Amino acid sequence: MSFWAKLKGTTQSPPRVSLEEMAWSWLGSLLGIGAVAGLNHLYFAGTPWTLIVGSFGASASLIYGAIKSPLAQPRNFVGGQVLSALVGVSAQMALPGHPWLAAPLAVAFAVVAMHATKTLHPPGGATALIAVVGGPQVHDLGYLYALLPVGAGALLMLAIALVVNNLPAKRRYPEFWL
Amino acid sequence: MPSGQDQGPGGLPLDYQLSEHDILEAMKGLSGYLDITPGDFKEVFALAYGQALTRLGLSVKAQDLMTTPVVSVGAGDSLAQVAHAMAQAGVSGVPVLDEEGRVLGVISEKDFLKRMDPLGSQSFMGVVARCLSQGACLLAPLLEERAAQAMSAPAVSLGPQATLAEIRALFASRGINRAPVVDDQGRLLGMVSRADLLGTRAGRRA
Repeated sequence: MSFWAKLKGTTQSPPRVSLEEMAWSWLGSLLGIGAVAGLNHLYFAGTPWTLIVGSFGASASLIYGAIKSPLAQPRNFVGGQVLSALVGVSAQMALPGHPWLAAPLAVAFAVVAMHATKTLHPPGGATALIAVVGGPQVHDLGYLYALLPVGAGALLMLAIALVVNNLPAKRRYPEFWL
Repeated sequence: MPSGQDQGPGGLPLDYQLSEHDILEAMKGLSGYLDITPGDFKEVFALAYGQALTRLGLSVKAQDLMTTPVVSVGAGDSLAQVAHAMAQAGVSGVPVLDEEGRVLGVISEKDFLKRMDPLGSQSFMGVVARCLSQGACLLAPLLEERAAQAMSAPAVSLGPQATLAEIRALFASRGINRAPVVDDQGRLLGMVSRADLLGTRAGRRA
Protein backbone atom coordinates (compact mmCIF):
# COMPACT_ATOMS: atom_id res chain seq x y z
CA MET A 1 0.00 0.00 0.00
CA SER A 2 1.43 3.36 -0.97
CA PHE A 3 2.15 6.04 1.59
CA TRP A 4 -0.64 8.25 0.22
CA ALA A 5 -3.15 5.40 0.16
CA LYS A 6 -2.30 4.68 3.80
CA LEU A 7 -3.01 8.31 4.71
CA LYS A 8 -6.56 8.01 3.41
CA GLY A 9 -7.38 5.33 6.00
CA THR A 10 -8.80 1.90 5.28
CA THR A 11 -11.76 1.40 7.53
CA GLN A 12 -14.38 3.20 9.57
CA SER A 13 -14.87 4.39 13.11
CA PRO A 14 -16.31 1.89 15.62
CA PRO A 15 -19.97 2.49 16.58
CA ARG A 16 -21.11 4.89 19.31
CA VAL A 17 -21.75 3.21 22.65
CA SER A 18 -25.19 3.09 24.28
CA LEU A 19 -26.46 5.72 26.70
CA GLU A 20 -26.26 3.14 29.46
CA GLU A 21 -22.57 2.63 28.70
CA MET A 22 -22.02 6.38 28.80
CA ALA A 23 -23.79 6.60 32.15
CA TRP A 24 -21.64 3.89 33.75
CA SER A 25 -18.47 5.43 32.27
CA TRP A 26 -19.52 8.74 33.81
CA LEU A 27 -20.20 7.21 37.21
CA GLY A 28 -16.91 5.27 37.27
CA SER A 29 -14.89 8.34 36.33
CA LEU A 30 -16.71 10.46 38.90
CA LEU A 31 -16.14 7.99 41.74
CA GLY A 32 -12.60 7.04 40.72
CA ILE A 33 -11.26 10.56 40.37
CA GLY A 34 -13.48 11.57 43.32
CA ALA A 35 -11.71 9.02 45.51
CA VAL A 36 -8.17 10.19 44.73
CA ALA A 37 -9.09 13.88 44.72
CA GLY A 38 -11.08 13.57 47.95
CA LEU A 39 -8.46 11.59 49.88
CA ASN A 40 -5.75 13.91 48.54
CA HIS A 41 -7.70 16.87 49.85
CA LEU A 42 -8.29 15.23 53.22
CA TYR A 43 -4.82 13.92 53.93
CA PHE A 44 -2.25 15.59 51.70
CA ALA A 45 -3.36 19.22 51.37
CA GLY A 46 -0.52 21.39 52.66
CA THR A 47 2.00 18.51 52.71
CA PRO A 48 4.79 17.79 50.22
CA TRP A 49 2.89 14.68 49.13
CA THR A 50 -0.04 14.19 46.79
CA LEU A 51 -2.35 11.39 45.75
CA ILE A 52 -3.30 12.82 42.41
CA VAL A 53 -1.51 13.18 39.12
CA GLY A 54 -2.85 14.56 35.82
CA SER A 55 -2.52 11.30 33.89
CA PHE A 56 -5.18 9.72 36.15
CA GLY A 57 -7.74 11.63 34.08
CA ALA A 58 -6.52 9.79 31.00
CA SER A 59 -6.49 6.46 32.85
CA ALA A 60 -10.12 7.07 33.87
CA SER A 61 -11.18 7.19 30.20
CA LEU A 62 -9.81 3.70 29.80
CA ILE A 63 -10.59 1.90 33.04
CA TYR A 64 -14.13 3.29 33.32
CA GLY A 65 -14.86 4.06 29.65
CA ALA A 66 -13.19 1.33 27.59
CA ILE A 67 -13.17 -1.51 30.09
CA LYS A 68 -12.76 -4.31 27.52
CA SER A 69 -9.63 -2.73 26.12
CA PRO A 70 -6.36 -4.56 26.74
CA LEU A 71 -4.94 -1.11 27.51
CA ALA A 72 -7.39 -0.77 30.41
CA GLN A 73 -6.69 -4.05 32.22
CA PRO A 74 -5.14 -4.10 35.72
CA ARG A 75 -1.77 -5.33 34.45
CA ASN A 76 -1.60 -2.47 31.96
CA PHE A 77 -3.09 0.18 34.21
CA VAL A 78 -1.08 -0.36 37.39
CA GLY A 79 1.98 -1.81 35.65
CA GLY A 80 2.13 0.87 32.94
CA GLN A 81 1.61 3.71 35.40
CA VAL A 82 4.25 2.60 37.94
CA LEU A 83 6.81 1.58 35.32
CA SER A 84 6.43 4.86 33.42
CA ALA A 85 6.76 6.80 36.66
CA LEU A 86 10.08 5.05 37.39
CA VAL A 87 11.31 5.76 33.84
CA GLY A 88 10.22 9.41 34.09
CA VAL A 89 11.94 9.98 37.44
CA SER A 90 15.11 8.32 36.12
CA ALA A 91 15.14 10.64 33.08
CA GLN A 92 14.61 13.65 35.31
CA MET A 93 17.42 12.59 37.67
CA ALA A 94 19.81 11.81 34.83
CA LEU A 95 19.29 15.17 33.12
CA PRO A 96 18.31 17.69 35.80
CA GLY A 97 17.81 21.15 34.33
CA HIS A 98 17.48 19.84 30.77
CA PRO A 99 13.75 19.17 30.42
CA TRP A 100 13.92 19.69 26.63
CA LEU A 101 15.90 16.44 26.44
CA ALA A 102 14.71 14.61 29.57
CA ALA A 103 11.04 14.95 28.56
CA PRO A 104 11.19 13.22 25.15
CA LEU A 105 13.55 10.55 26.49
CA ALA A 106 11.24 9.89 29.45
CA VAL A 107 8.21 9.35 27.23
CA ALA A 108 10.02 7.37 24.55
CA PHE A 109 11.60 4.99 27.04
CA ALA A 110 8.34 4.69 28.98
CA VAL A 111 6.50 3.56 25.83
CA VAL A 112 9.19 1.00 25.02
CA ALA A 113 9.32 -0.25 28.62
CA MET A 114 5.54 -0.70 28.64
CA HIS A 115 5.63 -2.52 25.31
CA ALA A 116 8.43 -4.80 26.46
CA THR A 117 6.54 -5.75 29.62
CA LYS A 118 3.12 -6.01 27.92
CA THR A 119 1.83 -3.21 30.12
CA LEU A 120 1.11 -0.56 27.47
CA HIS A 121 -1.22 2.00 29.02
CA PRO A 122 -1.29 5.33 27.14
CA PRO A 123 -1.63 7.54 30.24
CA GLY A 124 1.70 6.07 31.37
CA GLY A 125 3.37 8.30 28.78
CA ALA A 126 1.81 11.29 30.51
CA THR A 127 2.96 10.00 33.90
CA ALA A 128 6.56 9.82 32.63
CA LEU A 129 6.28 13.30 31.12
CA ILE A 130 4.88 14.77 34.33
CA ALA A 131 7.87 13.36 36.24
CA VAL A 132 9.99 15.78 34.16
CA VAL A 133 7.74 18.78 33.57
CA GLY A 134 5.73 18.58 36.84
CA GLY A 135 7.81 21.19 38.62
CA PRO A 136 9.73 21.18 41.92
CA GLN A 137 6.96 19.50 43.93
CA VAL A 138 7.19 16.42 41.71
CA HIS A 139 11.01 16.53 41.44
CA ASP A 140 11.33 16.62 45.23
CA LEU A 141 9.46 13.32 45.55
CA GLY A 142 12.20 11.43 43.72
CA TYR A 143 11.36 7.77 43.19
CA LEU A 144 8.59 8.07 45.78
CA TYR A 145 6.60 9.53 42.85
CA ALA A 146 6.19 5.96 41.52
CA LEU A 147 4.53 4.86 44.78
CA LEU A 148 2.79 8.04 45.86
CA PRO A 149 0.90 9.45 44.03
CA VAL A 150 1.20 7.03 41.09
CA GLY A 151 1.11 3.51 42.62
CA ALA A 152 -1.26 4.29 45.50
CA GLY A 153 -3.60 6.36 43.32
CA ALA A 154 -3.70 3.68 40.64
CA LEU A 155 -4.59 0.97 43.17
CA LEU A 156 -7.37 3.13 44.59
CA MET A 157 -8.79 3.81 41.12
CA LEU A 158 -8.50 0.11 40.30
CA ALA A 159 -10.52 -0.80 43.40
CA ILE A 160 -13.29 1.57 42.28
CA ALA A 161 -13.17 0.08 38.76
CA LEU A 162 -13.53 -3.46 40.12
CA VAL A 163 -16.70 -2.46 41.94
CA VAL A 164 -18.38 -0.02 39.55
CA ASN A 165 -17.61 -1.91 36.33
CA ASN A 166 -19.14 -5.10 37.70
CA LEU A 167 -22.40 -3.61 38.99
CA PRO A 168 -24.34 -3.60 35.68
CA ALA A 169 -25.31 -7.00 34.25
CA LYS A 170 -23.85 -6.19 30.83
CA ARG A 171 -20.43 -5.07 32.02
CA ARG A 172 -17.55 -7.04 33.48
CA TYR A 173 -14.03 -6.15 34.51
CA PRO A 174 -11.25 -7.17 34.24
CA GLU A 175 -10.82 -9.21 31.10
CA PHE A 176 -7.61 -10.57 32.66
CA TRP A 177 -5.37 -9.79 35.63
CA LEU A 178 -1.86 -10.73 34.57
CA MET B 1 -1.89 -5.91 2.02
CA PRO B 2 -1.74 -8.06 -1.08
CA SER B 3 -5.13 -9.41 -2.03
CA GLY B 4 -5.93 -11.39 -5.14
CA GLN B 5 -9.23 -11.76 -6.91
CA ASP B 6 -10.42 -14.88 -5.17
CA GLN B 7 -8.65 -14.62 -1.88
CA GLY B 8 -8.59 -12.04 0.83
CA PRO B 9 -6.28 -11.61 3.80
CA GLY B 10 -5.11 -14.89 5.30
CA GLY B 11 -5.92 -16.77 2.10
CA LEU B 12 -9.58 -16.75 3.06
CA PRO B 13 -11.94 -17.44 0.18
CA LEU B 14 -14.08 -14.37 -0.49
CA ASP B 15 -17.26 -16.32 0.26
CA TYR B 16 -16.22 -16.61 3.89
CA GLN B 17 -15.21 -13.01 4.36
CA LEU B 18 -17.14 -10.78 6.69
CA SER B 19 -18.02 -7.33 5.45
CA GLU B 20 -17.17 -4.36 7.62
CA HIS B 21 -20.89 -3.82 7.89
CA ASP B 22 -21.33 -7.29 9.42
CA ILE B 23 -18.64 -6.50 11.96
CA LEU B 24 -20.02 -3.06 12.74
CA GLU B 25 -23.48 -4.55 13.36
CA ALA B 26 -21.96 -7.21 15.64
CA MET B 27 -20.03 -4.55 17.56
CA LYS B 28 -23.26 -2.63 18.08
CA GLY B 29 -24.79 -5.80 19.49
CA LEU B 30 -22.12 -6.00 22.17
CA SER B 31 -22.37 -3.46 24.90
CA GLY B 32 -19.30 -1.46 25.80
CA TYR B 33 -16.52 0.10 23.80
CA LEU B 34 -14.30 -2.26 21.81
CA ASP B 35 -11.08 -0.55 20.88
CA ILE B 36 -10.65 -2.34 17.59
CA THR B 37 -11.66 -1.03 14.19
CA PRO B 38 -13.91 -3.13 11.94
CA GLY B 39 -11.01 -3.32 9.49
CA ASP B 40 -8.64 -4.76 12.07
CA PHE B 41 -11.24 -7.24 13.25
CA LYS B 42 -11.74 -8.39 9.67
CA GLU B 43 -8.03 -9.01 9.32
CA VAL B 44 -7.84 -10.93 12.61
CA PHE B 45 -10.85 -13.01 11.60
CA ALA B 46 -9.39 -13.90 8.21
CA LEU B 47 -6.07 -14.95 9.73
CA ALA B 48 -7.76 -16.92 12.52
CA TYR B 49 -10.00 -18.67 10.00
CA GLY B 50 -7.01 -19.64 7.89
CA GLN B 51 -5.25 -20.89 11.02
CA ALA B 52 -8.30 -22.99 11.96
CA LEU B 53 -8.39 -24.55 8.50
CA THR B 54 -4.71 -25.42 8.77
CA ARG B 55 -5.18 -26.84 12.27
CA LEU B 56 -8.10 -29.03 11.15
CA GLY B 57 -6.20 -30.04 8.02
CA LEU B 58 -3.33 -31.25 10.19
CA SER B 59 -5.20 -32.65 13.18
CA VAL B 60 -7.94 -34.66 11.47
CA LYS B 61 -6.53 -38.01 10.37
CA ALA B 62 -7.59 -40.69 7.92
CA GLN B 63 -8.56 -42.92 10.85
CA ASP B 64 -11.02 -40.24 12.07
CA LEU B 65 -12.63 -39.86 8.67
CA MET B 66 -12.71 -43.38 7.31
CA THR B 67 -15.82 -45.47 6.90
CA THR B 68 -15.62 -48.78 8.66
CA PRO B 69 -16.44 -51.61 8.32
CA VAL B 70 -15.89 -51.66 4.57
CA VAL B 71 -17.49 -53.79 1.89
CA SER B 72 -14.66 -55.49 0.02
CA VAL B 73 -14.27 -58.16 -2.62
CA GLY B 74 -11.74 -60.93 -3.18
CA ALA B 75 -9.25 -60.95 -6.04
CA GLY B 76 -10.86 -64.06 -7.49
CA ASP B 77 -14.47 -62.85 -7.32
CA SER B 78 -16.27 -62.58 -10.64
CA LEU B 79 -17.31 -59.14 -11.85
CA ALA B 80 -20.91 -60.24 -11.40
CA GLN B 81 -20.20 -60.82 -7.71
CA VAL B 82 -18.38 -57.52 -7.49
CA ALA B 83 -21.26 -55.66 -9.15
CA HIS B 84 -23.70 -57.35 -6.81
CA ALA B 85 -21.67 -56.43 -3.73
CA MET B 86 -21.36 -52.81 -4.86
CA ALA B 87 -25.06 -52.52 -5.68
CA GLN B 88 -26.07 -54.04 -2.36
CA ALA B 89 -23.81 -51.73 -0.36
CA GLY B 90 -24.74 -48.71 -2.48
CA VAL B 91 -21.12 -47.76 -3.06
CA SER B 92 -19.37 -46.78 -6.27
CA GLY B 93 -16.06 -48.43 -5.46
CA VAL B 94 -14.71 -51.30 -3.34
CA PRO B 95 -11.23 -52.45 -2.36
CA VAL B 96 -10.01 -55.78 -3.73
CA LEU B 97 -8.25 -57.96 -1.15
CA ASP B 98 -5.99 -60.98 -1.30
CA GLU B 99 -6.50 -63.92 1.03
CA GLU B 100 -4.63 -62.26 3.91
CA GLY B 101 -6.81 -59.17 3.75
CA ARG B 102 -4.18 -57.02 2.04
CA VAL B 103 -5.39 -54.42 -0.41
CA LEU B 104 -4.41 -55.23 -4.01
CA GLY B 105 -6.40 -52.52 -5.75
CA VAL B 106 -9.68 -50.72 -5.97
CA ILE B 107 -12.48 -51.47 -8.38
CA SER B 108 -14.98 -48.75 -9.16
CA GLU B 109 -17.81 -47.95 -11.52
CA LYS B 110 -15.18 -46.35 -13.73
CA ASP B 111 -13.38 -49.67 -14.15
CA PHE B 112 -16.65 -51.26 -15.27
CA LEU B 113 -17.36 -48.43 -17.70
CA LYS B 114 -13.87 -48.73 -19.13
CA ARG B 115 -14.61 -52.32 -20.06
CA MET B 116 -18.12 -51.69 -21.37
CA ASP B 117 -17.07 -48.94 -23.74
CA PRO B 118 -14.13 -49.92 -25.99
CA LEU B 119 -13.58 -46.25 -26.79
CA GLY B 120 -12.80 -45.79 -23.15
CA SER B 121 -14.92 -42.74 -22.43
CA GLN B 122 -15.26 -44.03 -18.85
CA SER B 123 -18.58 -42.28 -18.50
CA PHE B 124 -22.01 -43.77 -18.18
CA MET B 125 -23.35 -41.55 -20.95
CA GLY B 126 -20.49 -42.59 -23.23
CA VAL B 127 -21.58 -46.20 -22.82
CA VAL B 128 -25.25 -45.32 -23.38
CA ALA B 129 -24.41 -43.31 -26.50
CA ARG B 130 -22.48 -46.16 -28.11
CA CYS B 131 -25.11 -48.64 -27.10
CA LEU B 132 -27.94 -46.63 -28.68
CA SER B 133 -26.15 -45.52 -31.83
CA GLN B 134 -24.14 -48.59 -32.71
CA GLY B 135 -25.68 -51.40 -30.77
CA ALA B 136 -22.29 -52.04 -29.27
CA CYS B 137 -22.92 -52.64 -25.64
CA LEU B 138 -21.35 -55.92 -24.89
CA LEU B 139 -21.43 -56.99 -21.31
CA ALA B 140 -20.42 -60.50 -22.33
CA PRO B 141 -16.64 -60.06 -21.91
CA LEU B 142 -17.24 -59.00 -18.33
CA LEU B 143 -18.71 -62.38 -17.50
CA GLU B 144 -15.34 -64.05 -17.76
CA GLU B 145 -13.39 -61.46 -15.84
CA ARG B 146 -12.29 -61.51 -12.24
CA ALA B 147 -11.94 -58.58 -9.88
CA ALA B 148 -8.15 -58.76 -10.06
CA GLN B 149 -8.25 -58.16 -13.82
CA ALA B 150 -10.61 -55.20 -13.77
CA MET B 151 -9.33 -53.36 -10.71
CA SER B 152 -7.11 -50.31 -10.72
CA ALA B 153 -3.84 -51.42 -9.19
CA PRO B 154 -1.70 -50.85 -7.32
CA ALA B 155 -4.15 -49.18 -4.98
CA VAL B 156 -3.51 -45.58 -3.99
CA SER B 157 -3.79 -46.16 -0.27
CA LEU B 158 -3.49 -44.10 2.88
CA GLY B 159 -1.99 -44.74 6.29
CA PRO B 160 -4.28 -44.24 9.29
CA GLN B 161 -2.23 -41.17 10.30
CA ALA B 162 -2.56 -39.38 6.93
CA THR B 163 -3.89 -35.87 7.56
CA LEU B 164 -6.94 -34.28 5.99
CA ALA B 165 -4.63 -31.96 4.04
CA GLU B 166 -2.63 -34.92 2.69
CA ILE B 167 -5.80 -36.81 1.75
CA ARG B 168 -7.19 -33.80 -0.13
CA ALA B 169 -3.90 -33.37 -1.98
CA LEU B 170 -3.79 -37.07 -2.88
CA PHE B 171 -7.37 -37.12 -4.19
CA ALA B 172 -6.71 -34.04 -6.28
CA SER B 173 -3.35 -35.12 -7.69
CA ARG B 174 -4.45 -38.68 -8.56
CA GLY B 175 -7.95 -37.72 -9.68
CA ILE B 176 -9.54 -40.31 -7.40
CA ASN B 177 -12.66 -40.23 -5.26
CA ARG B 178 -11.81 -42.80 -2.62
CA ALA B 179 -8.82 -44.54 -1.15
CA PRO B 180 -8.41 -47.51 1.16
CA VAL B 181 -6.82 -46.92 4.56
CA VAL B 182 -4.33 -49.69 5.30
CA ASP B 183 -2.07 -50.68 8.20
CA ASP B 184 1.68 -51.06 7.70
CA GLN B 185 1.16 -54.64 6.45
CA GLY B 186 -1.18 -53.36 3.74
CA ARG B 187 -4.28 -54.81 5.43
CA LEU B 188 -7.54 -52.94 5.00
CA LEU B 189 -8.69 -50.75 7.91
CA GLY B 190 -11.32 -48.58 6.21
CA MET B 191 -12.14 -46.40 3.25
CA VAL B 192 -12.03 -42.62 2.89
CA SER B 193 -14.16 -41.14 0.14
CA ARG B 194 -14.70 -37.55 -0.99
CA ALA B 195 -18.02 -37.57 0.85
CA ASP B 196 -16.11 -38.20 4.10
CA LEU B 197 -14.13 -35.01 3.50
CA LEU B 198 -17.16 -32.79 3.26
CA GLY B 199 -16.79 -31.84 6.88
CA THR B 200 -19.85 -33.27 8.56
CA ARG B 201 -17.96 -35.96 10.43
CA ALA B 202 -14.83 -33.92 10.97
CA GLY B 203 -17.00 -31.02 12.08
CA ARG B 204 -18.77 -33.10 14.68
CA ARG B 205 -15.47 -34.27 16.07
CA ALA B 206 -13.82 -30.88 16.18
